Amino acid sequence: MNKLSPEERVTLRDSVHKLLTDECSENAVRTTMETSSGFDPVLWRKLAEMGIVGLIIDQPQGGAGVGPVELEMVMEEVGAALLCSPLLASGVLAAELLKALQVEDVANRLLPTIASGECIATAVLTGQSGCWTQSGVTVTAEGDASSNEWYLTGSASYVLHGQNANLLLVAANTPDGAGMFVVDAGADGIDVASLPTFDHTLRLASISFDNVAAERINTQRPVWDAVRQALDVTLVALAGEQAGAAEHCLTATVDYAKTRIQFGRAIGSFQAIKHMAADLLLETESALSAARNAAVCLADDASNATEAISLAAFACADTFVTTAATNVQMYGGIAFTWEHPAHLYLRRARANAQLFGSSDFYRERFMQQLGA
Amino acid sequence: MLTETNIADKNLRDEVRSWLSENWTQPKAAALTQHQPMWGASDELKSWLAEVVAARWAVPRWPSEWFGRDLSNAQAKIIEAEFAAVKAPGTGQDRTNLWANTLLAGGTEVLKSKLIGPLLKSEINMCLLYSEPNAGSDLAGIRTRADRQGDHYVVNGQKVWTSGAMTADYGMLIARTDWDVPKHLGISYFYCPMKQEGIDVRPLRQITNESHFNEVFITDAHIPVDNMLGNFNQGWKMLQTALAYERLIMGEGARGPRGGNKKAKDEEILIALAREAGVLDEPKLRQQIAQAIAYKKLNALNSARGKADIAQGESSSLMSLGKLAMSRILHEEARLRTEILGPASMLEGSDYPRAEDANFLTFNAYLTSIGGGTDQIQRNIIGERVLGLPKEPEVDKKIPFRDVRAS
Ligand SMILES: Cc1cc2nc3c(=O)[nH]c(=O)nc-3n(C[C@H](O)[C@H](O)[C@H](O)COP(=O)(O)OP(=O)(O)OC[C@H]3O[C@@H](n4cnc5c(N)ncnc54)[C@H](O)[C@@H]3O)c2cc1C
Repeated sequence: MNKLSPEERVTLRDSVHKLLTDECSENAVRTTMETSSGFDPVLWRKLAEMGIVGLIIDQPQGGAGVGPVELEMVMEEVGAALLCSPLLASGVLAAELLKALQVEDVANRLLPTIASGECIATAVLTGQSGCWTQSGVTVTAEGDASSNEWYLTGSASYVLHGQNANLLLVAANTPDGAGMFVVDAGADGIDVASLPTFDHTLRLASISFDNVAAERINTQRPVWDAVRQALDVTLVALAGEQAGAAEHCLTATVDYAKTRIQFGRAIGSFQAIKHMAADLLLETESALSAARNAAVCLADDASNATEAISLAAFACADTFVTTAATNVQMYGGIAFTWEHPAHLYLRRARANAQLFGSSDFYRERFMQQLGA
Repeated sequence: MLTETNIADKNLRDEVRSWLSENWTQPKAAALTQHQPMWGASDELKSWLAEVVAARWAVPRWPSEWFGRDLSNAQAKIIEAEFAAVKAPGTGQDRTNLWANTLLAGGTEVLKSKLIGPLLKSEINMCLLYSEPNAGSDLAGIRTRADRQGDHYVVNGQKVWTSGAMTADYGMLIARTDWDVPKHLGISYFYCPMKQEGIDVRPLRQITNESHFNEVFITDAHIPVDNMLGNFNQGWKMLQTALAYERLIMGEGARGPRGGNKKAKDEEILIALAREAGVLDEPKLRQQIAQAIAYKKLNALNSARGKADIAQGESSSLMSLGKLAMSRILHEEARLRTEILGPASMLEGSDYPRAEDANFLTFNAYLTSIGGGTDQIQRNIIGERVLGLPKEPEVDKKIPFRDVRAS
């Protein structure tokens, strides 16, 4: 792993911040979210050129080769700017999954195109239950190990950017347990349907497979261990996105409370508003601490990494929802309009809180990590 | 033993019951249980209301000269119970018709004769022209002005968040009529005709992706002097009457899901949804659903006790709690609908009606927690007016409005 110096980190953060300030303004987000793909290919290319798409992909495979700490940091910026892109799907979830499977030729073949942004990949892991454990897998693979010819059947759901992906990494049940398969998204027998999402900055799809020829990734690791590792990295990234977004929301609301005058005073001078803001600051700072701590634990391969990631998952999800929701109340009528950004964040917060399992799910995992 | 009241009550009950059985016919009932348009009444509803008004069931507590029967609260409730038993709408408007009650309380004879009938029959549509870009919670900070010219007022200014302005025939308007006195003392209250050249209504897109509220630009609009409610410069008092009705109504209910409530049987909707989703046996969820339903039932009990207090001639502090209670109920119910759905709550559209409802209700709950006075303002009112806690100092309460600081 390529560890950045503190100065290099600042530079990285600044350059992402600048790119998103320039190219991912609120107006740009509103335009992009109403397009069918839901992302801006020009910005996507720029993110790839800057090394953001391949951030966690190793350098020999065309990536920047940095770790969870830098990823979390970049995602804070992504969350604040409400970036619409397949970054989490392709550059994080799919990329980490390919790394975690530890099959060198497959990784060497696929990761460079993912890092360059040419190929958008995503992982197909669950069905309509939206359950992110191995029991949630709904696709079945038939074939045999000797010829390594496999065919996928079944339908999956909640596939992140499934409608934009060229490459699918599909978890499927095989006669010998869970397997991981690579398939071209345009292959015969694949039907991708966009799911209409309440968060318009999000893209989800359901994908059905009807006897689709697929390549099995013959990993030595138990497949679900690799999936769990990829999901954990993705959760750290998502936690960063949520914490960054929540912090951004609160800052904007506090700024408004300083300038909006009612009863001859700034509304921020009323304790009702001040106390809401103070409570939210406790939440958002805690979320940032949780997300950054999870990233450090993961980077250090600490023994309590799973515990830290679970904590970050629910703390950041809940904080983003609470902050975005309370902010609408703090703004008053103005936030009830489509033109005001408050609802865009609240929509994303609600989606993010469900993306890879609910807060309750991660609270339970946290308890298990604590030995309870 | 039958007392005189018992006999009068029984006669009244018989009279309503037989009137309903003759007039509330099956076809009418069927036509009216159809989904009603949100702004404005359907023709079927209007013609039914006309019958109810003509038979003097619409506002039984009101004086007989204004479509009423001078009945006590207890007797009016007998009528309401009979209407409710057959699900017929139209009575109880002496509690629930914001527009008509405000007009009766402060209108001139000319205006009352002209509009009370049509209001009770829902023949005209209304809106509230209170909030302005710089005067929301601080309504006394309005800057829309009304200046008298002969037999009418000329109005100029801008209103915002005006629900239903597109279809409204009249708006209940507050405007500044004196700039040289402190802010609460220079406001007058009007019924402003909306269908005139000086009124320009521009829809605003809401977070629910609907456009029910609007900006209203007012340029040299005319209001006849007869359309003033209450006295000149005493509009603030009139407004308190109107707001009390509005908050009372908001405390008793709110709009349901966009497509109507498609619930099976008479089961509590949260229980029905949890059952449908197969999660009704989860202990944590059960506890939370119990609490949400409890909030709703307790609010209904508070409201019933409050009404009984009022009937006995006491003023009831319970009535000011309803809107705050309803805000909590709506936000919590929407949160639980989301929790029951889990990942499906990420979806929207007609293929996903449960998600559509959960998301819509999550956002629409702010109508109750912001509209009609925010929860924070409501808490201030309860603290100060009900509990008698010292008031927050108001820096601009005593100075001439001209000198007041704005955003
Ligand atoms: C869906 C919807 C429909 C509406 N329909 C209508 C309508 O038909 N007609 C109409 O006239 N208006 C309507 N309104 C406007 C509504 O009444 C105002 O939005 C509301 O009174 C708040 O005013 P504001 O939006 O200016 O917020 P502000 O007054 O600017 O309030 C901003 C924040 O400051 C807080 N705050 C302000 N003053 C205090 C204080 N003294 N103490 C503590 N906290 C304070 C508020 O609680 C809020 O959190 C509607 C609003 C909504 C959301």
